[in-house]
Amino acid sequence: MTLALAAASRAYGWRWQVLPPATGVGIMALLLGAVLAAPREAVEGEVQRLLYIHVPAVLAAYLAFSVTFVASILLLWTRDMRYDPVARSAASVGVLFIALNLATGAIWGKPIWGVYWTWDARLTSTLVLLLIFIAYLLARSLSSRADEQAARYMAVFAIIGFLDVPLVHFAVEWWRTLHPQPILPGRDLPGEMALVLLVGTVAVSLLAVWLIVLRTETEAMAARADALGAELDRFEGA
Amino acid sequence: MDFLEFLFAGFAVFWGAIFVYLLTLQGRIRALSRQLERLQERLDERASASMTSEDS
Repeated sequence: MTLALAAASRAYGWRWQVLPPATGVGIMALLLGAVLAAPREAVEGEVQRLLYIHVPAVLAAYLAFSVTFVASILLLWTRDMRYDPVARSAASVGVLFIALNLATGAIWGKPIWGVYWTWDARLTSTLVLLLIFIAYLLARSLSSRADEQAARYMAVFAIIGFLDVPLVHFAVEWWRTLHPQPILPGRDLPGEMALVLLVGTVAVSLLAVWLIVLRTETEAMAARADALGAELDRFEGA
Repeated sequence: MDFLEFLFAGFAVFWGAIFVYLLTLQGRIRALSRQLERLQERLDERASASMTSEDS
């Protein structure tokens, strides 16, 4: 555990050297792959290329909400408030990517299904996941950053909210849905398409991690500004 | 049927939203940096003023 934390801390020290260039290269590869390298799908045509951002977006959202879930457990377990900004930052990035997953899905759905939206189990559970974490962010923003009790209550809320992630993922297997079954590279996708999807997943996941790091740093700066402001108030009050 | 307009709309929404999110975050980081600098300057001024009054 200590070794893992030390390794994570060392890796975190390299964040500015590694994350922005790796994300930039990944996104360029994704764009080139999605627009030029991947072959045209025979049934759906060019619009099927939305797959290369639609699926990575939901996987990036799962990753971000997993970070919120783990940080919330660690916050409750250790009572260390440093996990609170990590949980909030990851939730905010998760909300961005799940909203983008729904938006690209709606745009893809219109020409293929004939409608932007339908109340099937996958779409509805994804919308519920978005609303759960918007509620989490709104509720947490009502109290101050330093409010430990609010942080603990919202950590419990985030842990319960995260239970919707497996529901979203397995909805297409547990219920009859208009949304297709999960795509398995090799079985459902030819080699080039599977490769572009893999590149897209890595690139968008790197982007999500970079955004979580940036957002967490912003939260740390805001906390420092709060602390300096309080110190100044003490000086001026004295 | 390729529905190219839907493909374009999907990519535009996706990358546009990420660009706006990054711009917002950058603006917030800049504003916080300026706020931190101002607060630190005011704290330093207060600290030196109180030291001067203690000396006299």
